[in-house]
Amino acid sequence: MSTPSPIPPPNDRRSSRASSNAGPPSSNLNVPSEPSDLLVVGGPPSSPSPLALRASNSPSSKRRKSRAAKVPPDVHMLEYVSACDSNLVCLICHSPFDRPVKLPCEHYFCRECVDHAWDAQQEDLRSCPTCRTKVDPQKDLSPVPRIIETMLDELVVKCPNTKTGCDWVDQRVNVHDHVMLYCEYTLVECPSTDCRLPISQKDFHKGCLHSTVSCEHCHASLMKKDLEVGSVMSICPNRSTNCPHCFIELLRLDLKPHVKDVCPMVSIPCSGAIVGCKVTAERIEVEEHEKTCPMATMAPFFREQQARVERSEARLDPLSRKIGILEDGLTNITSMLYPANGNDSSFPVTNPLDPNSSEAFPPASLMPTPDFRLPPASFPPVPQSSDTTQAQPPFDSQVHHLLTLHESLRDEVSRVSNALTELEGRTSMTIMNENQRVKEDMLHTNAAINGMRMQLHWLMSATLQQRSASAAGSSTARAGSSTGPSASGSGTQGASSRASATFRAPIRRLSDSTRQDVKL
Amino acid sequence: MFATKRLQKELIKLNEKLPPGITLVKADDLKEWLMDIQVMDDNPIYKDETYRLKFTFSGNYPIEAPEVVFTPVQTPSRPIPLHPHIYSNGIICLDMLAREGWSPVHNVESVCVSLQSMLTSNTKRERPEGDDKFVKYNTRRPKDINFVFHDNGV
Ligand SMILES: [Zn+2]
Ligand SMILES: [Zn+2]
Ligand SMILES: [Zn+2]
Ligand SMILES: [Zn+2]
Ligand SMILES: [Zn+2]
Ligand SMILES: [Zn+2]
Ligand SMILES: [Zn+2]
Repeated sequence: MSTPSPIPPPNDRRSSRASSNAGPPSSNLNVPSEPSDLLVVGGPPSSPSPLALRASNSPSSKRRKSRAAKVPPDVHMLEYVSACDSNLVCLICHSPFDRPVKLPCEHYFCRECVDHAWDAQQEDLRSCPTCRTKVDPQKDLSPVPRIIETMLDELVVKCPNTKTGCDWVDQRVNVHDHVMLYCEYTLVECPSTDCRLPISQKDFHKGCLHSTVSCEHCHASLMKKDLEVGSVMSICPNRSTNCPHCFIELLRLDLKPHVKDVCPMVSIPCSGAIVGCKVTAERIEVEEHEKTCPMATMAPFFREQQARVERSEARLDPLSRKIGILEDGLTNITSMLYPANGNDSSFPVTNPLDPNSSEAFPPASLMPTPDFRLPPASFPPVPQSSDTTQAQPPFDSQVHHLLTLHESLRDEVSRVSNALTELEGRTSMTIMNENQRVKEDMLHTNAAINGMRMQLHWLMSATLQQRSASAAGSSTARAGSSTGPSASGSGTQGASSRASATFRAPIRRLSDSTRQDVKL
Repeated sequence: MFATKRLQKELIKLNEKLPPGITLVKADDLKEWLMDIQVMDDNPIYKDETYRLKFTFSGNYPIEAPEVVFTPVQTPSRPIPLHPHIYSNGIICLDMLAREGWSPVHNVESVCVSLQSMLTSNTKRERPEGDDKFVKYNTRRPKDINFVFHDNGV
């Protein structure tokens, strides 16, 4: 409601922090504040050279000699190696805390962030950004627990000069020293007295590299420092480089397509991944794997199917919208036609959809025949009042338009349903074929079983016949013995018939059990 | 710098995971993002409809509130939801989005969720009082308008 206090430009932020640091005496908060002039960006250029205007440090020859012009790393810009615990993340900057402070309500923020937020608030209205508890920045801030500080210190970060080539990775607490003392890629001021452009620490001893040269490969003009070996900044596409995966040497501009499509050592997922194959390996191995992976063979089919489904769905969307419009139109027409009745359900939805009648519909007709398409039985007679005739012309063209719209919709719907039936037919054909094959297999098996059963039968009956034949032989022999002359012979015969009797019992049982088996 | 870093972080998160009914439509730069929201219960006023939100960020985000308005789109159909605190030109009267009500701990996702619940809890099919006049004559940016947040029921 009242005018808000103007938000100071970003540069003021630093000084405001310095001033609030000077406030309450608190050992943890009193970060040794850097000389603020060190951080001033784009100081007044005293040199006429246009390049010098881009220099990032203030042109004081005294400081340049001391080479102290390095910019300390901004903790907020650091890149973290792994995702940080969400409890260590400042809700204002969404980064892990940088020099956090604790508000009386136990909410934590980066010192810089909360100062920044309070800069935008009126002095006596400052409150916790989370819970809006009133806070007096002069008195109420306290240091965060030691353990939080330790956890923050131990977060693993990349060197801020990663993009220019440094591969240092270590705990965050060390990043300041690394950048300020050890990093080869930290920018310092050029050693040349009349050049103030930044140069990597590692190239410092080489003298000024800020003269423009023409690239011997692509003839683009660029700065000499960008040609330095190992500088990731060398952007020439015609320069040779090594593939980071297979170490083959190739031109920089070929690197991307190589890694994407060719490189045998780059790790890619199996093409069956969309169906669920979890294999991810180097291209060589994946190619080997895809030969045997059933999911990789299925993948193209699935992809096509998916694309088809997506296409149909996309087609369905405008269709359903059209239907909605149409339904609205129909309701309007109904209410226009039968204002007294107003009963939607009595409108004959099927009849006006008849294409013949819609063609027979005389365009722009002024004839007072409002119900010419409707079976008179199902409708209350509409009096040909002046009312109806007045409503006729607009309603007429609207109906016509809607009918054509509906017609095309119907076509489309029937096309879609045709496609669906076709698809269904194809699916059921596949299933039928599969069934057929299974059925045939079953028949084969049955026939084989039958054959075996026959053989068994034949074998069984053969055995049985043999037995009964031998039994019959013994009985005739016995019969013969009564008539036959030899007494000793009859004695032996009797023994054999006894033996056959003891034989017969187990055999019959055996045949019984086989018959049961067959029945099963 | 502040806004850039923070928006990049938010964008990464939005691309990873979003609450149901909230979709990121477009975030080509760090100045203007488009989001779609849907009401997830079956409030008959908003059932089966999707609304398009336009976020505009200043360089001082999140210290300064983003400008958030509903914006109508023909295809796909994105109307302006009917609500006693939403003008028919898409301007939203929500204290969270105003200068005093904003807090830097809010973010794009939390704004979307708040608007979702603002719609969910509404039962009146109406525009704010004086909608016609406001839409016709207003030339101010949404956050410069002093809405009176009289009822907290919605
Ligand atoms: Zn912060
Ligand atoms: Zn708090
Ligand atoms: Zn480094
Ligand atoms: Zn130089
Ligand atoms: Zn070149
Ligand atoms: Zn390679
Ligand atoms: Zn596979």
